Amino acid sequence: MDLYLGVDVGSVTTKFVLIDEEKNILASCYLRTSGDPIGALKEGLQYIERHFPSGGEIKGVGSTGSARHLAGIVVGADIVKNEITAHAIAAITRVPEVRTVFEIGGQDSKLIIIRDGVVEDFAMNTVCAAGTGSFLEHQAVRLNVPIEEFGKLALRAEQAVRIAGRCTVFAESDMIHKQQLGFGKPEIVKGLCEALVRNFINNLATGKTIEDPIVFQGGVAANEGIVQAFRDFFQGKKKIVVPPEHGVMGAWGAAILALEYAPEKSTFSGFEVIGRQFESRSFTCEDCPNACEIVILKEENDIKALWGSRCGKWTPVTVRQRWEEQEDKSEEPLQIEEEESLVKG
Amino acid sequence: MKATFPHLLHLDIALGVLYPTLGVEIITPPPITQKTIEIGVKLAPQNACFPLKVTLANFVEGIELGADTIFMAGGVGPCRFGYYGQIQNIILEDLGYNVDFVLLDHPRYGIRPFIKALQTMAGGRVLSSRVIKVASLAWKVLRFTEDLETERRALRAQVKDRQKLDEIVEGALEQLRQVNNEKSFQAIKEETMKKLDNLERKETEDLIKVGIVGEIYVAQETKINFNVEKILGELGAYVHNSVSTVEYVLHTLPFTRSREKLEAWELAKPYLKRFVGGEGIDTVGSAIRYAQWGFDGVVHLYPFTCMPEVVAKSILTAVSRDYDLPTLHLAIDEHSGEAGLVTRVEAFVDVLERRKKLKKKKVEVS
Repeated sequence: MDLYLGVDVGSVTTKFVLIDEEKNILASCYLRTSGDPIGALKEGLQYIERHFPSGGEIKGVGSTGSARHLAGIVVGADIVKNEITAHAIAAITRVPEVRTVFEIGGQDSKLIIIRDGVVEDFAMNTVCAAGTGSFLEHQAVRLNVPIEEFGKLALRAEQAVRIAGRCTVFAESDMIHKQQLGFGKPEIVKGLCEALVRNFINNLATGKTIEDPIVFQGGVAANEGIVQAFRDFFQGKKKIVVPPEHGVMGAWGAAILALEYAPEKSTFSGFEVIGRQFESRSFTCEDCPNACEIVILKEENDIKALWGSRCGKWTPVTVRQRWEEQEDKSEEPLQIEEEESLVKG
Repeated sequence: MKATFPHLLHLDIALGVLYPTLGVEIITPPPITQKTIEIGVKLAPQNACFPLKVTLANFVEGIELGADTIFMAGGVGPCRFGYYGQIQNIILEDLGYNVDFVLLDHPRYGIRPFIKALQTMAGGRVLSSRVIKVASLAWKVLRFTEDLETERRALRAQVKDRQKLDEIVEGALEQLRQVNNEKSFQAIKEETMKKLDNLERKETEDLIKVGIVGEIYVAQETKINFNVEKILGELGAYVHNSVSTVEYVLHTLPFTRSREKLEAWELAKPYLKRFVGGEGIDTVGSAIRYAQWGFDGVVHLYPFTCMPEVVAKSILTAVSRDYDLPTLHLAIDEHSGEAGLVTRVEAFVDVLERRKKLKKKKVEVS
């Protein structure tokens, strides 16, 4: 059986999806990145290995998400794609007649306009992270409500409190203010959901025509309060679909892209990667005032990849030379000292 | 007098050719780096446009190298470029720098102050045949630096060895700094063009074509716009930039006009008849021209909060719809994040490629 793997490493969560040739999801997982993308990748691979169908073979791997390049190196992806394309492909596969995609993830949100099964236009939040998963989570903690219950709480409210949602900081202070006035938690949460929806529309949908069916995906789509707020915003006139796979759509899209790309021989690193040691090191280049931060992904003594060199002077070869020079230099001062002492003596 | 000036792509090369003949010593500010941007952000008001901040930092870095005079150009119309010089002068005074600020304002504000500023910038030299000769050489050098970048944008997606391409262009730019006569200039020009012609090409069919439109500084200065044209080229796009300092200067001088600009303004007329400052009309007109040339998409680069470009941005929505031309708007300032920008440019290229394939299929079916 030919299988394809999709990996989506985002700022907050890491997602894995394993599909067959018919694009059906055979296994999927949704993990916290917790600031350790390599750890999360290994954990995800372990999960996929445990749920791997016997007789299956991975024929292609796709990676996406903000850490797509890192993931691509570690897992050995055949195709590395941006999350907009990956999300669109998954939405089109799930709901072929889709015309608009709303995607709200951990730290960014996207609006994708699709016509006749092709991406026509898109927008990504640029200025502010208001309304993304991280903010909602932060507020859930502050209100002492488990994130899973957060959305349901909003549904219990009879009315919403108006909350300024243009900026996360002001939204928070406005929420505190409304709390101090004595409003209940459900009303405040509902007000927050509505503010975030207004923010999403104002930031991303300006000048764009939103036609239904709308597919709402990304981690925040699990929040019923936000879904309801979107429905209310369109006064129930637009069809909004939240697919059950909403949390792993990006990874699913990456897997589908790998399938479409159909490499002759996959560059998949294999499940052995789980046992291998990766290490990332960084240094600041001080050769010019740009002060580039060079990040190096190492596997034992092997430099696997390198990022951040604006002028292009740092490559695995030059970095290795630099390390060797540094090692030489660290011996040099000793010699100088000896010479000095000789002169003195 | 030791004068410094703002960077604008390769303007410093042309000025370096011009000035040894004039009686002014010039101090080229260090290339724009992250440090330059930090200086500008620290010293300028937060709400000022990004180009004001970066050029201000050029002055400060130039002063640190010993400059006692600033040469700056001024703008006209409802664009804030009109007051850059004044504001920067005040900021430098407040910082305690004792420098002369020579502002070459737009001739529309009066031909006499314009000529007077020009004379100061020329070190009080009269128009001798020698001065005219070197000025025309500097002008040719400026033109050629732009042509070189045009070649580089077009070739990036087509050549096998991109590093070689960069080496040839950077090498030629470095050589141009040493030019002091027509003969040596022509030799560099011919040799470079020959080298570029000889670069091995990939077999590319149906490259997507992307045009760049926008504000003169941000759309050109690759050191502050994250080199979007390079990202596009490496993703396999043929890139053309409609913004040019040469055309701007031609159009600003009292007795010359830029044909390219006039053409763009004519094209923009159905959407925008008035001058809205800066390059507002040019942006609209150039986007239409790209649509007529059969380009697949347009990238619009502008400083965050730039008024003329915000006007153009709204109009581009209609242009994009009428001409079926996808447009990616990128606002640039010190807060722009590279990762988000790259993601959007990548996705934009995907959109253009898929559209192109689909169009081709449709043509084949019919």
